[in-house]
Amino acid sequence: MMESTVHPPEATVTVRLTLNGIPVTVGVSPNAILLDVLREQLGLTGPKKGCDHGQCGACTVHVDGRAMNACLRLAVMCEGQAIITIEGLAGAGHLHPVQQAFLDHDAFQCGYCSPGQIMSAVALLEDRRIAGDVATVREAMSGNLCRCGAYQNILAAIQDARLRLHGQEGGDKT
Amino acid sequence: MSDITEPRVIGRRTPRIDGVAKLTGRADYTVDHRLEGMLHGYPVPASIAHGTLESLTLDAARAMPGVVDILHHGHFPDLHRSPNSMRQGNAVSEVRLPFEDDRIHYHGQYIALVIAETFAQARAAAFRVEARYHRDAGVMTGLAASDDEGEEVRHYTRGEPELAFGIAPVILDETYTMAAESHLQLESHATLAEWHEADQRLIVHESTQGVFYQRNALARIFDLPEERVEVISHYIGSGFGNKLFMWPHAVATAAAARMLGRPVKTVLPRQQDMMTTGHRPASRQRIRLGAELDGSLASIQHDSLTETSTVDRYVDACGGATPSAYACDSVATHQRILPVHHGTPCPMRAPGEVSGVFALESAMDELALALDMDPLALRLKNYAHQDPQRGLPWSSKHLDRCLESAAERFGWTARDPGLGAMRDGDEVIGQGMAAATWFAGRQPCAAEVELRADGSVVAACGTQDIGTGTYTIVAQTVAELTGVPIERVEVRLGETHLPAGPLSGGSMTTASTLPAVAAAVHDALTALKARATEPGGSFAGLAADSLGVESGALVADGRRADFAEILARHRLTAITGEGSAAPGDERREYSFRSFGAHFVEVRWDPGISRLRVARVVSSIDIGRAINPVAARNQVEGAIVMGIGMALLEKLDYDPRDARLINANASDYRIPVHADMPEIDVELLDHPDFRFNEFGARGIGEIGLTGIAPAIANAVHHATGKRLRNLPITVEQLVEGN
Repeated sequence: MMESTVHPPEATVTVRLTLNGIPVTVGVSPNAILLDVLREQLGLTGPKKGCDHGQCGACTVHVDGRAMNACLRLAVMCEGQAIITIEGLAGAGHLHPVQQAFLDHDAFQCGYCSPGQIMSAVALLEDRRIAGDVATVREAMSGNLCRCGAYQNILAAIQDARLRLHGQEGGDKT
Repeated sequence: MSDITEPRVIGRRTPRIDGVAKLTGRADYTVDHRLEGMLHGYPVPASIAHGTLESLTLDAARAMPGVVDILHHGHFPDLHRSPNSMRQGNAVSEVRLPFEDDRIHYHGQYIALVIAETFAQARAAAFRVEARYHRDAGVMTGLAASDDEGEEVRHYTRGEPELAFGIAPVILDETYTMAAESHLQLESHATLAEWHEADQRLIVHESTQGVFYQRNALARIFDLPEERVEVISHYIGSGFGNKLFMWPHAVATAAAARMLGRPVKTVLPRQQDMMTTGHRPASRQRIRLGAELDGSLASIQHDSLTETSTVDRYVDACGGATPSAYACDSVATHQRILPVHHGTPCPMRAPGEVSGVFALESAMDELALALDMDPLALRLKNYAHQDPQRGLPWSSKHLDRCLESAAERFGWTARDPGLGAMRDGDEVIGQGMAAATWFAGRQPCAAEVELRADGSVVAACGTQDIGTGTYTIVAQTVAELTGVPIERVEVRLGETHLPAGPLSGGSMTTASTLPAVAAAVHDALTALKARATEPGGSFAGLAADSLGVESGALVADGRRADFAEILARHRLTAITGEGSAAPGDERREYSFRSFGAHFVEVRWDPGISRLRVARVVSSIDIGRAINPVAARNQVEGAIVMGIGMALLEKLDYDPRDARLINANASDYRIPVHADMPEIDVELLDHPDFRFNEFGARGIGEIGLTGIAPAIANAVHHATGKRLRNLPITVEQLVEGN
């Protein structure tokens, strides 16, 4: 497992991005992963490292409005992009309707995967190409592992949030 | 304490009080925690499983930017092994100290710990460490094929099981195996250690299910008084047994912090987490059943063999639930362990019993077929109305109601028992069932409760919330007993300077913790009443025990005074109560267990051999659920984990050299959203006041027991194939078609 080469993190590239609505300039090594930069350099620990290779989804953030695994993205790729993490999803002291639905439906246990589940759920609810039926939502959420197995409540929370956000029942194809 | 028979907050659906922190990313897990001047550790794992570390070449790694030090066998302080005692509360997962010698016992064993200024620097340098090994012959890669390998460590016998088996008219003799499973809790193991040289104190932030066990073990390992070691764990990204007891990364990290005089944080990369911090060991179980023609069990023999490592003796006691499972006069269980060159196994959710229940409940299904009996009827025929192992009455047992209720909701009577007889289009429907069980235990616990002048209440206990909802049920308990709204209750857990609390394990936390919290509340209220009835107090002249408690106030004679008002009158910021609780004489009078039933429907498409779990209906008898929404979540989550056990999960060790092949989250498969069946969980509500005044027995583990056999039994019903080796794979389903 130690065979692959990791280059020394010496050289620095300056990256300008918008992070949770605030312009940020950060010097990163060319091989730095977005997740590590968010967590280690920018102090945003809401995005979690679960598997570090794009399988668990705990690191999901929004990049220009699309849900992405921050562990699979180089920080230098984010030049000029707008990144939203769980910390920036709702205004201070407020919960996003999806966060509120997760609380109401007990859609978590240990909470470690929750930031990623929520960021994926928000993105899918905003994506009009993704149908609202249960099977489609389950498929669309399958990049977010929950080892506590709170899937049933996560599904209920997403479908409830769909009503709160769009006022439509699951099953509509839009 | 008097039983809580008419609760207002206990037993009510309550949103988790730690929910907002978790759902907004503010919850500070160990992997998130930072300290000023903190260094980062990154372990280097051995690439062989059995042999000797001949040499380490560190020049290239040392020359990497930011590297501060590299710890290894030739550069590590002399420490002491923990006594590894449950009784002393210093059990560890692996008693061998890191870098103790140059022997390699398993793939992934740490050979060095690189310390650097940043995480990226430590990782980069770790990849530059060069190691040379000598591989030894005789690597043990896993269980072989014989039942008598290894060493017998436990046995139990009642009656004449061999004799009864020999003369029984109907017998069954089958062997069942389970692959090793990974916990794959999403937060890796992590340690952030700080050493305070001035007063020789060690403070360790750890993602752990047992802060006190880790503190006690670290105190012995570093030869420090316990009061100079502190372990903190506020949020834990789950742990299904692999965070109960400390692993070597924590010892290495604490040693580094002391050597370097700066805080050091080590977060295990996922691969190393899966290689070095435990797993459910692979098992082989032989079940022999003898029955009369009417289905009465005459003999049960359950022989188990599980893996352990070459550095420890972990026993995954598969036969634990068997002696009390059914009314049968002749029962024997035997447990053997076999050392292999894998990392040390450890408890994983419902350890031992969940494997044993898979074998026993699969065998019961096979026996029912041999007898031409309904599998449900066979369970009821052999119903244990009292505990046949101890000869004591059950404190409370409603397994019959679980079986009947789940069967009714599932539609069991409409099941056609013919194999492959139920079809829906291209799919064959299979339906199976199994019973569930898990022991009910309690640990000693202490707690502290503070009534504050600002009207809030703080409850503190050195147990943990691993995602099961402990923060919330402690708050519910305080709200119940004081009438203070739950929003005004603050709960502190996961610190060793709090009163000693139990491990978050064994489904014992609820029953251990809440009685101690209740005792502390009563102690605080007693002190408050004493103040209030003093001369000049709000209820001066009245007897303290004549005062009632209502909505955060003391009441008497139609008058009320808020706790805050009483404290203010006496110029007090707070009144503190202490309490403790422990199991007592009830252990000699009753046997305590939880029970349940799972009914499962699978859908099998024989054309493409696609198998999925479509529907699970469960009824669980755990006494009272303190927070029903969180309790149901535990069972639903356990069902998901059981689907993984039955159909997906297997740690793959290379049969040539015992290297772990699939130590990552893609090659080791766990259920995802799309694998979810319809789930219908019912929690029976029969408070068990013989166990404690809350009537709660705990719920973390029972849901996992019985799921895998119910699935395997349903697969047999659909396919006609009796698959006795978990996980059930497509290859097994295709074979022989």
